[in-house]
Amino acid sequence: MSAVATVVRLSDAGGAAVILETSRALPLVSISIGLKTGALSDPLGKEGTTRLLSRLMRRTAGGLEAQIIDTRIDSLGGSLGADVVHSTMVFQATVISRNLDAFVDLLVDILARPGLAALELERLQRETLAELKDSLDDDRGLARRFFRRRFFGSHPYGRSVSGTPKSIPAITPSDVAGVFQQAFVRGNLVFAFSGDLDATRASHIAQRISDALPNGPVPSDTTPEPLGVTGRRLVIVDKPERTQTQILIGCLGSNTQDEDHDALLVANTIFGGTFTARLTQEVRSKRGWSYGASSNLPIDRRRQTFSMWTFPKAEDAGPCLKLELDLLHDFREKGVTKQELSWAKRYLVRSHCFAIDTAAKRVGLELDQTLYGLPEGYYSRYLQRVQAVTLEQANAAVQNRLSDENLLITVVGTESLMGASVRDSVANLASSEVVAFDAVD
Amino acid sequence: MSSPGSKLREKRLAELNAGATPEGRVTHLETVAFGPSLAVERFRFGNGLELLFCEDHSAPVIAYHTWFHVGSRHEREGKTGLAHLFEHLMFNEVEGRKAGEFDRKLEEAGAESNASTWLDFTQYNVSIPRDQLPLVVKLESERMSRLVLRDPQVKSEKEVVANERRYRVEDDVEGAVSELLWATAFENHAYRWPTIGWMKDIEGFTTEDCLEFYRTYYAPNNAVLVIVGDVPEAALLKRLSQAYGALPASTLPLEDVRPEPPQMAERRVEVSKPTATEKLVVGYHSPAMGDFDHPALSLLAEVLFSGRASRLHQRLVRELELATEVRAFVGPFRDPGLFELFVSAREGKTAEELLTVIDEEFAKVQSEAISAEEITRAAARLELGLLAGLETVDGKASTLGFYEIVLGRPGAAFERLDTTRRVTASDLLRVARRYLLPRYRTVILVRPDLSATTDREDAEAAQ
Repeated sequence: MSAVATVVRLSDAGGAAVILETSRALPLVSISIGLKTGALSDPLGKEGTTRLLSRLMRRTAGGLEAQIIDTRIDSLGGSLGADVVHSTMVFQATVISRNLDAFVDLLVDILARPGLAALELERLQRETLAELKDSLDDDRGLARRFFRRRFFGSHPYGRSVSGTPKSIPAITPSDVAGVFQQAFVRGNLVFAFSGDLDATRASHIAQRISDALPNGPVPSDTTPEPLGVTGRRLVIVDKPERTQTQILIGCLGSNTQDEDHDALLVANTIFGGTFTARLTQEVRSKRGWSYGASSNLPIDRRRQTFSMWTFPKAEDAGPCLKLELDLLHDFREKGVTKQELSWAKRYLVRSHCFAIDTAAKRVGLELDQTLYGLPEGYYSRYLQRVQAVTLEQANAAVQNRLSDENLLITVVGTESLMGASVRDSVANLASSEVVAFDAVD
Repeated sequence: MSSPGSKLREKRLAELNAGATPEGRVTHLETVAFGPSLAVERFRFGNGLELLFCEDHSAPVIAYHTWFHVGSRHEREGKTGLAHLFEHLMFNEVEGRKAGEFDRKLEEAGAESNASTWLDFTQYNVSIPRDQLPLVVKLESERMSRLVLRDPQVKSEKEVVANERRYRVEDDVEGAVSELLWATAFENHAYRWPTIGWMKDIEGFTTEDCLEFYRTYYAPNNAVLVIVGDVPEAALLKRLSQAYGALPASTLPLEDVRPEPPQMAERRVEVSKPTATEKLVVGYHSPAMGDFDHPALSLLAEVLFSGRASRLHQRLVRELELATEVRAFVGPFRDPGLFELFVSAREGKTAEELLTVIDEEFAKVQSEAISAEEITRAAARLELGLLAGLETVDGKASTLGFYEIVLGRPGAAFERLDTTRRVTASDLLRVARRYLLPRYRTVILVRPDLSATTDREDAEAAQ
């Protein structure tokens, strides 16, 4: 018989929420410690501070040398990373369960007693600048970066989580300490445990970490709703010697608080959410223009984007872009069919088992629910809500939320090989610019 | 003495085989331990199809993998990339079904499916909700024998693969340089060409090439089914016997293996690429995965390059600030491969400076014993990596299938872990002195140049 364990919430540990699912399948323990604040806390002009902080904490735990900390983590059969995004920060740790106690000792030092040494910060800043240089090799990353920067403009979602060549050197030890003091207060933490440990042990670990942190006001998220772009705006990111292009096209997307959020999710599945969705069929299967083609509808606390991603060769960039715009236009004008809707609902409902097939995944969903303040039952009632979406709701959501007129189009490639064709393929362009690939701001 | 469980299995197999075709008759061959708590049952059908089955009720899902003993090593000059192109074509059309129906049906069933091709194998993986098993058995058995190959599909898929190559190789510095490394380090063995194939070969494939490849290699006696998940053994065997029992075995060709002669002198190539900083890529000829030295050399690679506490990360990234990233791995292949290093220099630093430091560290491990603490730490990292990959049924099936294809022992992942724990400082000294010698290496020095020649020209020139 299949056993699907449930997530339990323990009594609060110093104001912090604790989520746990015990699983004895493997001798591993996963610990995720999430904060309800992320890179939006970076001081203005000092983008990258929160991410630097998360890395610095690991390197200066308890005032120890970075090498000693790294050696200890590895020796215990552990791993520790921090994932910083705009709205949250999550420390993700895994350890072989026989070494859990020693690992937790280190974790307490990392989270509650980091030295934040100035010399180590300087070293980390040099390292980060070198990584930013290396990231120029990643065309897909460049497309995402330019797209976000131009789409959100001065809105906080337009800021770079990793920082920029200008912002990283400007960050001081007091900036980092300031973000630490603001973020690392008891009520701002959420603990999520899964694997080879029981409730008593999980509670004890959460309590130990909470006890080592101060009480304090939990920072609130005052980010306004983004406005997106008006008109069709094209940004060509010129990079030499590219045989291929990376194309990202997007408009404003969804907010989990929207009444039509689920309807839009289902509609996106039909448009570009699976391998047999319209976008993949038309771009890849019928024409062979791009190895991948998909559309995406991410979530955050405020409205995010709806975007399409393809990567055709330079000669096909113009025709492919035109096809995508036509498909989006048809999607808005004609909507989806009853047959497509039924298919998408079956796909979403049946495939949901893979979102919850391990204890770590189930706990992860609960963690997201809490960190992002998602509507009650966002994940636990997901299947019922998907089942309830009607054809009228799906088509209304597409028409009301998506736009084929207010779009940002980002194309990374060699401008001399595709620029004219790309520009010609977009009717009613409101603006067009060409920027150098290394002009990342 | 047989256990009660095995007696029950014998009885069930006798009942099943009584009504089966000769090709569909099933024999139980062995029970293999898979870690401390799981077991894998090995069966063989009359037509030679192997089945590895691990009953796992941790979630109501099933991983259904089909591994074929065919990879890019089975190709020949002028037809490189055929195994990979074929992997793409396997998702197209089957007799009696419309083109694209395979994927559509699977997605409707809630399945996740994908495939991969490498030097030694091609594998197809589908993860399904447990109640969808009948569908996946039907679809997978159909495409093993009744694939339809027509010119328009081959033409379109060639274009998709060419675009994949542009993405992974032509416009990717690391992909392009890795391809150049293997093409330079190997002169005779089929490992010298890339799995995705040379662009001119991709462009030149015909439908007849694809049909010949299918008839030659896609047969039950060249495949292993690896199934892990929430399904009872008896029900599974019955369904598989019915679906695959009609498929005839084929006569597999003798593989034209050409062993690589020993490399006697360092090979060094300097290339220009449109990249921001210099890169260093080095490949030392390394033993096959089944070789006695492979676990020790893998552990040595872990000590030297893996994680922030590793020796080269400490020297190159942290102390000297010459590099942003260091990585290395020992090729896990059936035949001898490469111990491959990749280092990205910081701005203004040269690939030669990186190589000097690497040489210094290699000289140390060739002359001084590595501490017990470092060995234990590296072994702990490998243990964590193995365990973390086994959380899902798909992860378990991938591990079983990989070790079955490469070593012929599905439970070998845990055997290797035990072997690794027994590696001594002397073993590490031995493999460092045997393999990490300049005459066995190929060095690629990458210079940043925004007016560089194309990647395709570099690698194909090496051929």
